Amino acid sequence: MSGYRFERLKILVVDDNVHMRKLVVTILQAFGVKQVFEADSAERAWTTLREINPDIIVLDWVMEGKSGLELARMIRTMPEAPNAFVPLIMLTGYTSANHVRQARDAGVNEFIAKPVAAKTMMARLVSVIEYPRPFVRTDVYFGPCRRRRANEEYRGPERRINTHQAAE
Amino acid sequence: MTSRHPIELFMPPNMLKAKLGGGSGGSDIAALQRAQEALESLSTEFAGWLADDVKALVDAGARYGADPGDINRAALLRAAHDIKGQAATFDFPLMARVAGSLSRLLDEIPPGREIPAGLVEAHVRAVQVIHRETIKNAGDLMAQTLCTELEANVTRTLSGV
Repeated sequence: MSGYRFERLKILVVDDNVHMRKLVVTILQAFGVKQVFEADSAERAWTTLREINPDIIVLDWVMEGKSGLELARMIRTMPEAPNAFVPLIMLTGYTSANHVRQARDAGVNEFIAKPVAAKTMMARLVSVIEYPRPFVRTDVYFGPCRRRRANEEYRGPERRINTHQAAE
Repeated sequence: MTSRHPIELFMPPNMLKAKLGGGSGGSDIAALQRAQEALESLSTEFAGWLADDVKALVDAGARYGADPGDINRAALLRAAHDIKGQAATFDFPLMARVAGSLSRLLDEIPPGREIPAGLVEAHVRAVQVIHRETIKNAGDLMAQTLCTELEANVTRTLSGV
């Protein structure tokens, strides 16, 4: 048993497909989350998140209008966002390494490949609760540190300073 | 490029952990069991949901066939992407595979470049057939052959882009 008080969580689920939202909401409620809010577009999510200031946002990538990627960038960089540090879990059908990299570069904390499974959702929730990453601010990026592991043996130049690959 | 500002690396306070109490860091087995049961009770609705998704794909495919512009292409990609992401949950893994192949085709050909209409149509028809014949078995030989053929065609098309 994890021992977390999931009933205290406030989660916003953003997906333009009503069935996918229902699946995700069902899983989260079964975990004990009492406050689950839904948005069917990035634009509605942007309004909702400023009203409710969620603890975690689960967002789809491909949506009509603004994409989940654009929403992630807005949350991380726009002054109107209530919490630039809010954990973002991207739930998407995209699974290539390039897509994971793009999500990471937009400031997404965790990635779940559809089809959604309860076990994976639980693992990502535990990850953002238990193992939060430091944040990085550079000229070209603001968001969770994209280096998963510190390399103590690294003796090369500090790449964050000089390249667009900042904070990898 | 030289950075104009110093790099900031900082650890925000873990408000989430403070709010939720000290967990063990592992999965809550009872919660996972509840989620599994909740999904099983929801599964009676899956057939209707999938029918909605297939209809959305067929409609988007027809609109794209009539006018292959950017808006209709994006709508078709969203419909294909939805099926790619959900069909396996609804117990139609090969339908997810076909939709994944169509998503790849629509996603990887640069905007403004022509997408072979026949190949798009073949994917939409394959989804319809798998749905109509209720092909849930991932090992179904006919559907597997169809998937492989469509994927090979997409790879061939993309290699020429």
